[in-house]
Amino acid sequence: MTSQSTEPAIVETMPQREWSRFRYPQSVIRYGVCLSVFVFLVFSIEYLEIPLERLLGILGRLGLTLANRYYPPDIEYIMDADYMEYVVETIQMAYLGALFGLLATIPLGWFASFNMTPSRHFVYPVARLITMVCRAVHEMIWAILFVTILGFGMLAGVLALTFFCTGFAGKLFAEEIEAIDMGPVEAIRATGGNLFQVMVFGVFPQVRVAFTGIAIYTWDVAFRAATVVGFFGAGGMGWYLQRNIMQIETHRTAAILVSIIVLVLISEAVSAWARDRISKSK
Amino acid sequence: MNRPQGQSHRPEITYEQILQLRHRNWLVRSVIYVLMTAMMLWSVQVTIISDTDWERMGSIGKVMSSAARFVGIDWALFPNLIEPAIETFMIACLGTLLGVLICIPATWFGAHNITPFKPVTYPIGRLLMTLSRSIHEIVWALFFVAAVGLGALPGIFAIAMRSVGFIAKMSAEAIEDIDVGPIEAIRATGANGFQVVLYGIVPQVLPQVLSVIIFEWEINIRRSAILGFVGAGGLGLVFFRQMNTFNYHGVTSVIIAILGIILVGEVVSYFTRKSVI
Amino acid sequence: MAVLVVRDLKARYSAKGPEVLKGISFEVSEDDFFAIIGPSGAGKSTLVRCINRLVEPTAGEIHFNGQEITKLGRKQLRVLRRDIGMIFQEFNLVNRMSVMDNVLSGRLGYTGNLRTLFRAFPRRDIDHALQLLDRVGIADQVDKRADELSGGQRQRVGIARALMQGPKLLLLDEPTSSLDPKISREIMRLIKEMASEFKVPCLCNIHNVQLAMEFCNKIIGLQDGIKMFDGPTESMNEDKLNKIYAMEVL
Repeated sequence: MTSQSTEPAIVETMPQREWSRFRYPQSVIRYGVCLSVFVFLVFSIEYLEIPLERLLGILGRLGLTLANRYYPPDIEYIMDADYMEYVVETIQMAYLGALFGLLATIPLGWFASFNMTPSRHFVYPVARLITMVCRAVHEMIWAILFVTILGFGMLAGVLALTFFCTGFAGKLFAEEIEAIDMGPVEAIRATGGNLFQVMVFGVFPQVRVAFTGIAIYTWDVAFRAATVVGFFGAGGMGWYLQRNIMQIETHRTAAILVSIIVLVLISEAVSAWARDRISKSK
Repeated sequence: MNRPQGQSHRPEITYEQILQLRHRNWLVRSVIYVLMTAMMLWSVQVTIISDTDWERMGSIGKVMSSAARFVGIDWALFPNLIEPAIETFMIACLGTLLGVLICIPATWFGAHNITPFKPVTYPIGRLLMTLSRSIHEIVWALFFVAAVGLGALPGIFAIAMRSVGFIAKMSAEAIEDIDVGPIEAIRATGANGFQVVLYGIVPQVLPQVLSVIIFEWEINIRRSAILGFVGAGGLGLVFFRQMNTFNYHGVTSVIIAILGIILVGEVVSYFTRKSVI
Repeated sequence: MAVLVVRDLKARYSAKGPEVLKGISFEVSEDDFFAIIGPSGAGKSTLVRCINRLVEPTAGEIHFNGQEITKLGRKQLRVLRRDIGMIFQEFNLVNRMSVMDNVLSGRLGYTGNLRTLFRAFPRRDIDHALQLLDRVGIADQVDKRADELSGGQRQRVGIARALMQGPKLLLLDEPTSSLDPKISREIMRLIKEMASEFKVPCLCNIHNVQLAMEFCNKIIGLQDGIKMFDGPTESMNEDKLNKIYAMEVL
């Protein structure tokens, strides 16, 4: 028997074995879950009354709307000095929101970390709850709440951003602390240090670099949110956005959107540069 | 090459040089801190102190009572929240799904080892990812509401467009990190491009990609809830209506409902991760 | 008739890089177990990869079963690769897939896209895979993930995968360099047995000269992209070895 054929050669003396790809019951469960997810999605399309047939037409109209009503963007409108002031204020709001949020995160993240929290029964759950709530409530909800309580203006915006950043950075920071090497911590404890000293000498040196990364990430997210909180009255360029949308000034709206995109891109470029510098100097 | 015995060939570092370096580092760090504090003080002055209408806000007591309006739950509202909650949940699911579909070409273009024509398609892919992440979901929603009208559909589009950035970026990074060995082996068996992707690339990146998708889906639940503020359906619409009718307890109820579906999302995500990863 | 005829093969990795192969010629016959030896960087790995065009040769001819293969188009290249099995130094299994799926992936060149999507290989392929796994001695690991196996076991899977293709030539790229000495010998013996059983000639890039002398019947020595020795194993001696490995002494 020669192997000079494309058929795989079968050696006849081997005992026949059975093999099937499908194992019971794992396969049944897996297929069941996949099927139910699929059914749920189809049901959703029905429930929300999504017109699948008209979808292509809608997308076509999207392109036309974009081309006709939003182009060209009214760039002169945003080159205005007043608008520039709003842009600067947006940056400042974002800065304060991120800064205060990060300052609050230092103790909060510590309390919310399972390994370093002072009390696992009281402080830990409370800190975790605070972090989760701050994070779960969308920054826009925070903005609307604070505007209702404090009135229009940037104070509401700064507070909203602060609360949001606390939750956002808090979770990340707690996770970082939970991931440290406990060796140095034990060492400091062994020398007789109290919890605070253990944190400063055992924990912070290990999480310092990660914290800077979290800080940059938080700034990114805060700035993105700050450009829009003004839409709900919390100060910043979002206010211009809302005004022009209400007045259906589509070219101006397009210009404002362009400015938002440009600013966020610049901010991201700066963040990427900062991250690079930090990882190099490590 | 012979070296004389006992002669070290390390560059000499003097005590003074170490002290100088430390001094310089301390200087740099101090300057940074001073600048940051100055920025903070200036920002506080501009944003909080001068912008706030202190008189209208009144005293701390007035602020507290203002906040106290929200304390309390409108129990009667909850049955009416079930449908919008389901709607919000569905918008998140469909939006994430649509986002994943859009991610397939975006990731293909944006990973420098599989992009078809690097000088052109790689920048396009990366640009799409960055744009998607830079534009806030509210802005996306505003755009789609203006383009396709009110309802759930613009919400789904907005969620999809917002998610593409993160999922595509993480997937592209996973693809760029793969081990080329198995790909070489699959190619060597005479497989075509499709088979190479399916057997060489997908098994290596699937756990990471699924993890990213689940993560983004969870966040999307949070985002879907507020898209209703600008007319894109779901609980956000109810929230808005409650605010406009000054039913502050109702607002609190809606917030609780939002937290509820986020919790559902976290539970589902936890179990899905355990079985998939 | 010779299965593989290589004439004046030249190759380089990048357009401006150095020439890695500088004109190699040799022949492999039906019952050969051919070894390529030489110091690191001599071009052994490149030579092996030129045969199934994982590396593109820049000049020269390669005749495989009478067909000149250096100018083949994509579709014909795939047909060619079906007929050439390859076993790798780092095993190159798909780690997250099961042993069975890894072995079945050897038949990808014969499987349509739809079947690939659902991993629905024909029954005949599955039976053959089971027999090969039996033959290489890991039939009881068939459903384990590839990364749960030891090095020797993984290489056995690699051997089974290569033989699944029903190849007419086996390329081996340092198949034992990642294995310890005892396992290396077992694997080489296994490859040699199965190659002669299925009547498949082998072209083996090998670092360990003792293994080469023990298992292979013909040897090529490469140094710096040039052939320094070509002949039966018996005619190899220490002098010639030193010439091939001259660079390493310095």
